[in-house]
Amino acid sequence: MSAPGKRSRVDYIAILAVCFLTLVLSWLVGPDRYVQRLILLVVLWASMSSGFNLISGYGGQVVFGYMVFVGTGSYTTVLLFKAFKLSPWIGMWVGAVLAILIAFIIGLPTLRLRGHYFAVATIAFPLMAFPVLNHLGFEEVTIPFTGEGLSSFQFRDLRYYVLIAVVLLGIVLVLIKKIEGARLGFALNALKQNETAAEGMGIDTFRAKMIAFMVSAAIGAIGGVIYAFSLLYVLTTHAVFGLFIIVRILSITIVGGFGTLWGPVIAAAILVPVGEFLTAQFGARAPGIQDVVYGIALVLCMLYLPDGIWGRMLKALHKHGPADENQSIPAPALAGTPGDPASAVVAALRAEATASLSLRHASPEVVNNKENDPLLRIKNVSKYFGGVKAIDGLSVNVPFGKLVGIIGPNGAGKTTLFNVINGYMEPEKGKLLFDDVDTTSMKPNRLCKLGVGRTFQVPQIFRHMSVVENIMVGAFAKTRDADEAFAIAENVARQMGLSKRSTHLAAGLTMWEIKMVEISRALATKPQLLLLDEPMSGLNLEETDRIGAIIRAIADRGITIIVIEHVVQSLVKIADVMVALDHGQKVAEGTPQEVIEHPEVIEAYLGAKWRKRYAGR
Amino acid sequence: MENAIQLLVQGLLVGMSYAVLAAGLTLIFGVMKIINFAHASFAVLAMYFPTFWFLQWWGIDPFLSAAISLPLFFVFGFLIERLLISKILGRDTSETSTLIITMGLSLLIENLILIGWTGAPRIINQSYTLETWEFGEVLINHAQVYSMIGSVVLIAALYLFLNKTMFGKGIKAASDDPEGCAYMGVNLRLVYGVAFGLGIAVTAAGGCFMATYRPFDPFYGNGIVVILFVIVVLGGLGSITGAVVGGLIIGVIQQMSTLVIAVSLQNVAVFAIFLLCLFFRPQGIFGKKERAI
Repeated sequence: MSAPGKRSRVDYIAILAVCFLTLVLSWLVGPDRYVQRLILLVVLWASMSSGFNLISGYGGQVVFGYMVFVGTGSYTTVLLFKAFKLSPWIGMWVGAVLAILIAFIIGLPTLRLRGHYFAVATIAFPLMAFPVLNHLGFEEVTIPFTGEGLSSFQFRDLRYYVLIAVVLLGIVLVLIKKIEGARLGFALNALKQNETAAEGMGIDTFRAKMIAFMVSAAIGAIGGVIYAFSLLYVLTTHAVFGLFIIVRILSITIVGGFGTLWGPVIAAAILVPVGEFLTAQFGARAPGIQDVVYGIALVLCMLYLPDGIWGRMLKALHKHGPADENQSIPAPALAGTPGDPASAVVAALRAEATASLSLRHASPEVVNNKENDPLLRIKNVSKYFGGVKAIDGLSVNVPFGKLVGIIGPNGAGKTTLFNVINGYMEPEKGKLLFDDVDTTSMKPNRLCKLGVGRTFQVPQIFRHMSVVENIMVGAFAKTRDADEAFAIAENVARQMGLSKRSTHLAAGLTMWEIKMVEISRALATKPQLLLLDEPMSGLNLEETDRIGAIIRAIADRGITIIVIEHVVQSLVKIADVMVALDHGQKVAEGTPQEVIEHPEVIEAYLGAKWRKRYAGR
Repeated sequence: MENAIQLLVQGLLVGMSYAVLAAGLTLIFGVMKIINFAHASFAVLAMYFPTFWFLQWWGIDPFLSAAISLPLFFVFGFLIERLLISKILGRDTSETSTLIITMGLSLLIENLILIGWTGAPRIINQSYTLETWEFGEVLINHAQVYSMIGSVVLIAALYLFLNKTMFGKGIKAASDDPEGCAYMGVNLRLVYGVAFGLGIAVTAAGGCFMATYRPFDPFYGNGIVVILFVIVVLGGLGSITGAVVGGLIIGVIQQMSTLVIAVSLQNVAVFAIFLLCLFFRPQGIFGKKERAI
């Protein structure tokens, strides 16, 4: 995706055109029931598959039990219609609300589970609804015909249903298009690729999944209502809660392209007519022929076309995309600085620093009178893994605006400390105060919003997003507006020397660029405190110095930084304060020089022998 | 009271059959970290072929068919793993991809059975399928007892293979640390193929046993695959012991629930237990808690 706006307008026009052409086609072929039924089926399966696609394709949480929503919508509406003569126009909303409620109840325990766990767990719900409804005597419910009419939702001419279904499809597609470009879309895409990193970038992953799940549920419910009234005379539990519903929907979404806007529409237009044709031709002799086709489509698609038809086409487009866009994006930060791009980065950051320093005194939101107070207080924190004390009664104060380096040998508890500060782990004992707020048991996404940014020892970037999209995910921590997030991301990318690569997929970046993307993404969250976990690992000597300068420049901007590092020399050059850890305990704290000359630090790194030799010198 | 005892016995007998099927599922999950959605469909296939047809054509006893199905389905499973599953294991979406491809597989198996051998429910007729022992009011079906004995032998053999043989230990090691194993010279491709084949073979034999006391149709697997999953989750993913305990628990719950609710609602009770488990102990009874990152 480039600048938001351009491509999306094409999609909106296409949605309008597809809906309009479908209506024209439907109207022109006349009231022939067979053809109209086919059109209706295509539109309905496309709509319901799109709804399913939102949580499963975009959000990566495959809902095998999606039919529970289709069934809930249709059963609620039909029963209300039958018992209370309630117009289906009202009934469908009752059904949708009920479906949303059920999604919430299902999601509460299951959305916390790992992906494939969730998929199978959800299928238990339609399997529960099935026997309960049968037991209550609703196995078959005839839909009473109360005369043709708008209010009774009953038409002899199927074209009216096509009209209603097309309106649903249009609304669903526009909604998904909106979500795709908005914060929720980015959140879903991010959490699908890397839930850990998404949490760290301020995304409440549970909430994002839940919202998508509930929207999906409502779409399924309304699709189910139209399906029941237009094509079923007798509503049966099998017809709306049956496994075949998810089979169709899953096949259509997979063949079309998981997590793509047009995939389900295209695949529905192909698979549904083929299936109907085969059933009509061979159904008598081979009753399962349609499902065999869907089964083959699923298997072949997973093997040879995992992105689906539309996903594959989008990829082909993307391959050509970046090359042209590359030239159109200027790189102002680099202009006029020949040679080392990193020094340009440092210069850009320094310039920003002077600006933000003067800003800090001007704008009230950043004024902080406690500048000499610690920004982060780690009070007597302990974290155990079984019998292992990863952190053992550690207390450190991180002063405001300083660059704190934490060193220690492998297994000293450095990364665990970050995970505790960052909310990935809750300490067994002790307290954490960030900016005087108790954050001891706060989740990573809350901490990110409070102002704690983070990079990871093993870089956790979103591989299937472009550089600028990666950074936008960070920017969304502080803004809801996609244009603003884009502007922030572009700005950070420019400062960090990533402008040239901004439209490239993150999967193809070099180690240096990946590190820059991670830092940029963290900076885009506008942190007060930045946690850098071994930023220098995997880099060569020269790059190590460069990244050191960049980190120093970020600190000069007024952002408090904690760096974990093995490479002690590089850290000594840039740190204001250093803390040495060993076996989860603090062995030294002070200026870099004090710490590296501390006998216990030498012992921790080199062993007792060296300590003696050093002391004797 | 007799009724409760009858149901308890019934539950344990049925539960043991579930345990065999679940053992295959949990073995595959433990080693390959994938959920085989077609798992129960393989068992149903074995109910038809060899069990039903071998009896029909040549009068071969279902318990002999169970022995025949072991090598047959091992090869079948091995080929499925090599030709389909292994192709998508390396992808970063392999968890859901394998789930989806196995769903496609189950669709194919079920509907090809439907097309080839019709959807009519089938039952196995042997002398022992109708005979019962009587203990006061409690009746115990011969076929179910034989099935249970077969199941115990099968699970014991699987357990011994995994814990006492070199190759079995290789499989267990690969499930703990695939990367480390690859460095130590374990052929992961072979291990995955064998694990999948073994899981399918055990399940197929379990299907043969089950066919002796339950009527079945091509879609019989749809009803039990989720129950198997519930058992595996309850017992802790990847644990054979857990699958046995989970199978017995679910069997007993399913049968005993009919004391308080309608027979048609017995699976509702099973899923209710499942939900409670997800809420309070998602790692299962025997599972270990995963670390955050």
